[in-house]
Amino acid sequence: MKVIENLRSSLAQLTLLEIGDQSGDYGAMLFAGLGANVIKIEPVCGSPSRRIGPFATPQQDRESSLFFWRYNLNKKSIALDMDSPVARAVMSRLSDTADIVLLSGEFKTVDRQLKWWRQIAEEKRRLIVCSITPFGLDGPYRDFKSTDLTQLAMGGIMAMCGYDPNSDGVYDTPPIAPPMWHSYHVAGEYAAVTIMAAVNFRDLTNDGQFIDTSMHEAINTCTELSIPIYLHNGEVVKRQTARHAMVQSTPLRLPRSSDGVPVLAGLSPLARDLAAFVRLADDSGIPHELRSAEFEQWRKNDPGAADEYLNQLVDKIVGSISAEEVFIRAQTQGLPWAPIRRPEQNLQDPHFISRGSFATIEHSELGRDLLYPGTVAGDGISPHMSYTCRAPRLGEHSWEVLEKAGFTRNEIEEMARQKAIVAYEVSRGE
Amino acid sequence: MDDDKPWALKGVRLIDLTWVQAGPQATRLLASFGAQIIRVECPVPAGMDVVRQVPPYAPNHATPDGGRSQGAAPSSGVPGNFNRSALFNNTNAGKFGITLNLNHPKGRNLLKRLVAKADALCENYSPRQMEKWNLGYDELRKINPQIIYLAMTGMGKAGAYGDFVSYGPTAQALSGLTHMSGLPDKALPAGWGYSYLDHSPGYFGAFLLLSAIRRQRQSGVGCYIDLSQAETGLVLSGTALLEYQLSGRPTTRYGNRMPYLNWAPHGAYRCKGDDDWIAIAIQSDYQWRVFSEEIGSPEWTRDPKFATAAGRKANEDDLDRHLTSYTTGRERFDLMTRLQHRGIAAGVVQKAPDRVDRDPQLKARSFFVDLPSSEIGTWPVDGFPAKLSRSPANVGGPTGRAAPKLGEDNGLIYGSILGLTAGEIAHLREEGVI
Repeated sequence: MKVIENLRSSLAQLTLLEIGDQSGDYGAMLFAGLGANVIKIEPVCGSPSRRIGPFATPQQDRESSLFFWRYNLNKKSIALDMDSPVARAVMSRLSDTADIVLLSGEFKTVDRQLKWWRQIAEEKRRLIVCSITPFGLDGPYRDFKSTDLTQLAMGGIMAMCGYDPNSDGVYDTPPIAPPMWHSYHVAGEYAAVTIMAAVNFRDLTNDGQFIDTSMHEAINTCTELSIPIYLHNGEVVKRQTARHAMVQSTPLRLPRSSDGVPVLAGLSPLARDLAAFVRLADDSGIPHELRSAEFEQWRKNDPGAADEYLNQLVDKIVGSISAEEVFIRAQTQGLPWAPIRRPEQNLQDPHFISRGSFATIEHSELGRDLLYPGTVAGDGISPHMSYTCRAPRLGEHSWEVLEKAGFTRNEIEEMARQKAIVAYEVSRGE
Repeated sequence: MDDDKPWALKGVRLIDLTWVQAGPQATRLLASFGAQIIRVECPVPAGMDVVRQVPPYAPNHATPDGGRSQGAAPSSGVPGNFNRSALFNNTNAGKFGITLNLNHPKGRNLLKRLVAKADALCENYSPRQMEKWNLGYDELRKINPQIIYLAMTGMGKAGAYGDFVSYGPTAQALSGLTHMSGLPDKALPAGWGYSYLDHSPGYFGAFLLLSAIRRQRQSGVGCYIDLSQAETGLVLSGTALLEYQLSGRPTTRYGNRMPYLNWAPHGAYRCKGDDDWIAIAIQSDYQWRVFSEEIGSPEWTRDPKFATAAGRKANEDDLDRHLTSYTTGRERFDLMTRLQHRGIAAGVVQKAPDRVDRDPQLKARSFFVDLPSSEIGTWPVDGFPAKLSRSPANVGGPTGRAAPKLGEDNGLIYGSILGLTAGEIAHLREEGVI
């Protein structure tokens, strides 16, 4: 593969102003990963996402939230007293050079902000203003309260995830909301896609626009077979342990490796999968009858017996070696098997290391670096999305951003004296 | 063909060599913004998108001039008819469809001619398939130096597992997402009841394509994008990796509870009905008092141990037991409405019928969109979850319909883009090329 044009700084000409709660952090960070100048405008008490755990230190203060660290890489922070006239003066000035405004939060809060941004956008027609709210800006649920949990419930994901019913066919465990923060992930990804479409449209027409992203609708697009099965067949899928929710129960196939790890080790009816399994069985050294006439007869005349034999052999092979060995050996033969890893087991994985999947971020306050999952794609040599800066401290970039926006040093100092801004240089000296 | 709409991607042409879910999901989003997505499919069953060949199917009674109005019914498909898949119809809305046999030299030549007139290509074949056909990025770039090439695979083509194969669940298992989902006291994770990593990588694919298309429009530069579903899973693992690095503790499961904030109750609670549940999240002591009041202040809610967030968190098992005794036997939508009117985050665990037939929010915002198809009639498909004021997304794309029938647009595409005559197209069909 030759050196190819990387997308790393392809959005470097774009400035995005981010105002809101935790539901907007991730979507804005995707732009920062492609080089956009993302300025997070926080209230002086700090963004709500600074209060979400876990925390890096026992103090659990606004500078130690791992949620905030995770979802605010590469961003700048400016902290304003949102109720003071200074805040509007600053945001108005920043909007002169901004391309995108991303608002997030409950409907009432975002709606109030939008009224002001609509006035601004009348003069600045190139501005793209996107909101992420729990249910969108209209409709009977627009004022409903929501959390990640209730979003995954109402959006249909929870009904598909959980454990098998008991032996009487009764569900004795609840539907499960897979952790963590997937409603913010899905809504953020859709907001990012839609904003980029609007940027493309602006390039053609010179017109910005407003975008109303509904988290509830975003999640509703993300449930695969559930809706098509109901619409077309009138049937409802039921949740099953660690496998697809289906109308009819399907067998649970998660054999354990010699080191006790469940392994996703299914065999499809495809001829190529069976051929791959024969090679794996050969490689394992475990005696088998896969080439025998008897097995061929089972396959033709008694598929149930053939399946039972195959499953027993899968269990034997998986149980004879470690999960990681199963993974490598099965995949080498072309079987799409994988161990159920804990997330952290990937930190030392040679594949992800060679792809540059993790960004090394310096944390001077901890005296160490931390690895962050950084990208989803590369150009064959290096990642397209690049994260190099830890999440900002509250108001860390107030000076820089305000000076760049044309405010004088005296004006900034006056704002700080009035406590209308948190400017990191000043607060550090307090 | 609908060219009059204010499309954000007007004039963009993408050759779509995707199949199953992850790849088609990415290109579907671009069709919603008006890109001309040309879905290229193998004409013979052995190489055809597997989604065309597996359930769910439209009911056998569905006709081109009918659709949902004719009613739903179980179906095991119509033998030999590959145009009745319900999932395919949804995931490939708004696209043009052509057949092309890439195992035939003339087929590969035709693809190169299409690539020469395209802006982008997206494929999610097994890792080395395109190179086997001599249609990899390096080759196609010779034909069209500005081409944007998006490859989507389970692991990503570069790296130690570049040849490994994967479905969504494989990538989920490897990334850690499967392990994280479930109850702490169960030996196995609950995992995901569907292929989440066939969805999110599609959204990422669309985001990267849109960024690349913008740069291509501005500077004429193309690029190669090697997207990994498993890598996407790492990005979606929340704070687990940071937590591990700082604490050294292995990642555990915690069911529906909230380990990162003092929120309790926080879970799904059984209601009246057959496996009907409501999710409730109490986020403050004030909300707890309001909640207690709304449910009639039963004695257990007045227990001092539940008075504070920390107390409720410390006694969560007990709390959940009491709350379940209250919710069991109560109608879930009625309870949700009552709690929401008091400012409590409560949401019914909605199943498909709730979302399609009942959810007043989805109805009010016209989420499901009726789109015609030339084989199974008019059915609702997932809408686009964001409303744009000037260039609205339209999931029917430039075709104004759901998924194409196999090879439905052969005449249009081969004729209008490559200038082939009807006779030439017929000859290619006879030769087994298209």
